[in-house]
Amino acid sequence: MSSPESQRADGPSRLIVPAVVCAGLLAVAGGVAFYYASQTANRPVEAGIVTVTVGDKACDPMAITVPAGRSVFEIRNISNRPIEWEILDGVMVLDERENIAPGFKSQLATRLKPGVYDITCGLLSNPRGQLTVTASAHSEAERARPPLKAFIGPLSEYKVYLTLQSGELARRTASLAAAIDAGDLEAARAAYAEARLSYRHIETVSGRIADLENVIDPVAAYLAGRENDPGFVGFHRIEYGLWGTGGTDGLKPVANKLAADASALKSRLRALKLEPVDLAGSAVREAQRLADGPIISGEGLYSGNDLAEFAAAVDGLEKPVSLMMPLVGEASPTTAKSIADAFAATRAKIARFAAADARKRYADLPADERKALAASFTTLAQAISKVNATLGME
Amino acid sequence: MRFHGLCGAAALTLALSSGAFAQQANLDLVEPVAEYKLYVSEQVSKLVMDTTAFTAAVKAGDVAKAKALFAPTRLSYEAIEPIAELFSDLDAAIDSRADDYENGEANPEFPGFHRIEYGLWEKNSTDGLAPVADKLLADVKELDSRIAALTFPPEKVVGGAAVLMEEVAATKISGEEDRYSHTDLWDFRGNFDGARKIVDLVRPLIAKKEAKFLKTVDANFAQVDGILSKYKKGDGYVTYDKLTEADRKVLATAVNTLAEDLSTLRGKLGLD
Amino acid sequence: MLDPTDPIDSVPNALGRRYLLKGLGAAALGGALVVDGTSAAATEIAHRSVADAPIDGTASPNDRVPYLGVHQAGVVNPRPANGMLASFSVRAETLDALEDLFKTLTMRIAFLTVGGPEPQLDPKLPPADSGLLGPIIRPDNLTITVSVGASLFDERPWLAPLKPKHLLRMTGFPNDALDAALCHGDLSIQICANTQDTTIHALRDIIKTASRQLVLRWKQEGNVPVVAPGLDGRPESARNFLGFRDGSANPDSSDATAMESIVWVGKEDGEPAWALGGSYQAVRIIRNFVERWDRTPFGEQERIFGRTKISGAPLDMPDGHESDVPDYAADPEGKKTPLDAHIRLANARDSAAARNLILRRPFNYSNGVTKSGQLDQGLLFIAYQANLESGFIAVQNKLNHEPLEEYIKPIGGGYFYTLPGIRDAGDHLGSALVTAARGASR
Repeated sequence: MSSPESQRADGPSRLIVPAVVCAGLLAVAGGVAFYYASQTANRPVEAGIVTVTVGDKACDPMAITVPAGRSVFEIRNISNRPIEWEILDGVMVLDERENIAPGFKSQLATRLKPGVYDITCGLLSNPRGQLTVTASAHSEAERARPPLKAFIGPLSEYKVYLTLQSGELARRTASLAAAIDAGDLEAARAAYAEARLSYRHIETVSGRIADLENVIDPVAAYLAGRENDPGFVGFHRIEYGLWGTGGTDGLKPVANKLAADASALKSRLRALKLEPVDLAGSAVREAQRLADGPIISGEGLYSGNDLAEFAAAVDGLEKPVSLMMPLVGEASPTTAKSIADAFAATRAKIARFAAADARKRYADLPADERKALAASFTTLAQAISKVNATLGME
Repeated sequence: MRFHGLCGAAALTLALSSGAFAQQANLDLVEPVAEYKLYVSEQVSKLVMDTTAFTAAVKAGDVAKAKALFAPTRLSYEAIEPIAELFSDLDAAIDSRADDYENGEANPEFPGFHRIEYGLWEKNSTDGLAPVADKLLADVKELDSRIAALTFPPEKVVGGAAVLMEEVAATKISGEEDRYSHTDLWDFRGNFDGARKIVDLVRPLIAKKEAKFLKTVDANFAQVDGILSKYKKGDGYVTYDKLTEADRKVLATAVNTLAEDLSTLRGKLGLD
Repeated sequence: MLDPTDPIDSVPNALGRRYLLKGLGAAALGGALVVDGTSAAATEIAHRSVADAPIDGTASPNDRVPYLGVHQAGVVNPRPANGMLASFSVRAETLDALEDLFKTLTMRIAFLTVGGPEPQLDPKLPPADSGLLGPIIRPDNLTITVSVGASLFDERPWLAPLKPKHLLRMTGFPNDALDAALCHGDLSIQICANTQDTTIHALRDIIKTASRQLVLRWKQEGNVPVVAPGLDGRPESARNFLGFRDGSANPDSSDATAMESIVWVGKEDGEPAWALGGSYQAVRIIRNFVERWDRTPFGEQERIFGRTKISGAPLDMPDGHESDVPDYAADPEGKKTPLDAHIRLANARDSAAARNLILRRPFNYSNGVTKSGQLDQGLLFIAYQANLESGFIAVQNKLNHEPLEEYIKPIGGGYFYTLPGIRDAGDHLGSALVTAARGASR
């Protein structure tokens, strides 16, 4: 039913806003790319499709008003000749659809700035219609969008953080391996707890490097053979040994492999290329992931050290967001405040649980308490999700 | 850039025809800026370690050991000067010279490395230097934590290469920096290494477009290396007064040319 | 011998003629005269200010600035092309000796700024004059302005109680690297003239005639770039050695009322009575790192100053004129004019900043080569104000840590009090001070 053009409806807009598309990708060394789950989740709700029917003499309607930003037009050709449909700013064609056959329709998705434009309506001799694009909160944010240069500092600073923290992780997992090798259970438990904190600091990004994540941090619940599955390696295998069964026995190869994987992770993070949207985007995704899973179920099933790890995870979420805060604060002080408040509330909740249930294993906390903490992380994710829109990056 | 009136139009034409309009800064700079911070972090960690040993020798009254540690300790400070200088209070506390105080060495406020240098070489003594040493170590540690908390401004990183050369050209080539110990060549080493690090980090971004520029810069760095290596002694360098007039001249021209060339680096990378 | 046709005498009001020519293009002059019907002198007053650059081809050796008046000359007068500041130690151990020094200086000022033939002595003796200007001394727009430092009072118990209340020994600011050999002094003499020969001649004359009481400590010469007459007849501020216009926001020195409140000490200032009609003089020798400046991006240079380099217009109105007043209230975040731009820190253009106004009267200097083989160039900064504390010191404190500091280094200078004027031919410099000291000692 639709012409081939309709298949390419996104084409021109992709050219206009490469950043938005790139933003969805997190390129990793080796060319592995991840789809940015948060990207689709955060995209503002698309305005309804605007239908323009082009007849022999005119468009219907002849006057259209849309808010600034992304709009999707569906052009239906009910005339008896093939048409092209253009949006004109004076003599400049802003966007167009060509060769829409009689009886066919085509979609045009485009990004428009506030202003008054002409639209063509079939034959060149036909009168032109008018497209009025009104300013929107979104267009205002885009206008306020900081220049690319403003993100060089924050992005590089976050890379430094990831590099230093993953270096710390590599050192701590090496200490863990050494303690296990020496058969020193107490030292191994202490080293394990330390190494987990480093891992939580970088999990915002490292959790997305799937191959390493699957050997560093798999949980038994997701494995067919649970604790007996050959894929049960990495941190939790060691935790299972140190707190559950048999002490350090048989953990040496697992610990050595973990240390090697941590080193590999460090190199991968150092070579990682991040985009401006990734700073807040990864934090949103990770906060939501924590809320959906680990906080509800608990992850340190054997060590029970979850609260300290969650506190470290909040540090890890806050680092990239804090780097954007000067820009956010300038663009929208209320957004900045809601983010700061959400961080403070989450930290306060963790601290309260930690104080009240110091000797309890996290998994033994009442389910509604864990749910309340998860809700706090969801609120945090929602607050952070405003960052990119505030800076005109969505 | 903005130009006005007739002469403005003429200048504009001139600038355009000579291709003087640089690109806009882009995210390719993220890698070099991040790597530079890692470099600076390593250097400042070394500085803290070395300063700890140096000030301990001063406090122990071991003049010979303190003298031996003075120049190597300063090396890492000199390499990161463009960043260290961003904290003007610490820069003054750590690295100011007697000239910065109205009555020079006699001024009790004269602090830091050069105050200790003055005591060690001019008085051959550590008398009265213990509080100066304590303060120096505290200031260096403070520098370490301030650098850790700093998001590096890209224009300061890229501009830092030129800044280092400007420092040498304006106030070091004369030998007035380490005027008591004459260990200036060590400082030069730090300054050149620091500048070169920056050039090397941004090199991939301009390698294609600015091949000729990089060749000139590299040649000047090589010239400096050649001269410095002539004066190497052990792990370090002979005193600055041993430098021949001819070598000083070559060094001076290389430094000035580097300062001139590297001053365009920011513009080439779109950081005005 | 004096030529009877010499223009010195044939043009009694050399001053007025000079300004007439300098201040305006011919057409503008005609218009001004016809429209306002004001006198030539009034026209001059409306258009010439200290900041304005001297205009090419308008200076004459016969230009004369009256040395008599309630205030000393050389403060609110437009700068000629050359200036010098010399600092001296004063010997004068007694009030009489000090009075003698003031009288000697007054005599030399009266001769040098008016001009005339130099006295001829017996050739067996050294000549009375250096002779470098020839046998006839012409005024050449010369002004000689005498000021006194805190040490003149501090070291003399019989004078100490009369010290102006804000006068103190200059203390270093954070970016200063003061060279003791270029700082302070018991007495400063500012000498300005169209040509350097005239300033040097005046200095040598003073050293020769006052050497019993004065020992030269340091001096710095400088100049003001001479500009071609502007196309639109509007005065242009002179440029400093960083290539920027300097003085665009200077108060209008031709506005006598403004000068009374900004520059001259009046009854309301609470100074000792003898000091009325004087002014505080702040002198700073500020080295510019010109090589480094020339290697700084154009855009950054403009942001550091807060002005466009070519026209001098404020950055928030780049197509405007240097005299346009920037609207900082409309730019609270410093997007157009950075918050730490030189002109914004120095003068925020609000009512608070109005209390810190000073009259700047700087000269560019170029001395030689530093030990590092770089140019020793900079600004001989001289500013006058009725209150040193709320004037220069307050402004400089606002400028501490400004980005410009990376390119400048103050290395010398001092604070002085510019004595009230020589009121008439029977008066002499410092007469009120001497009288007050006599009264107190009695």
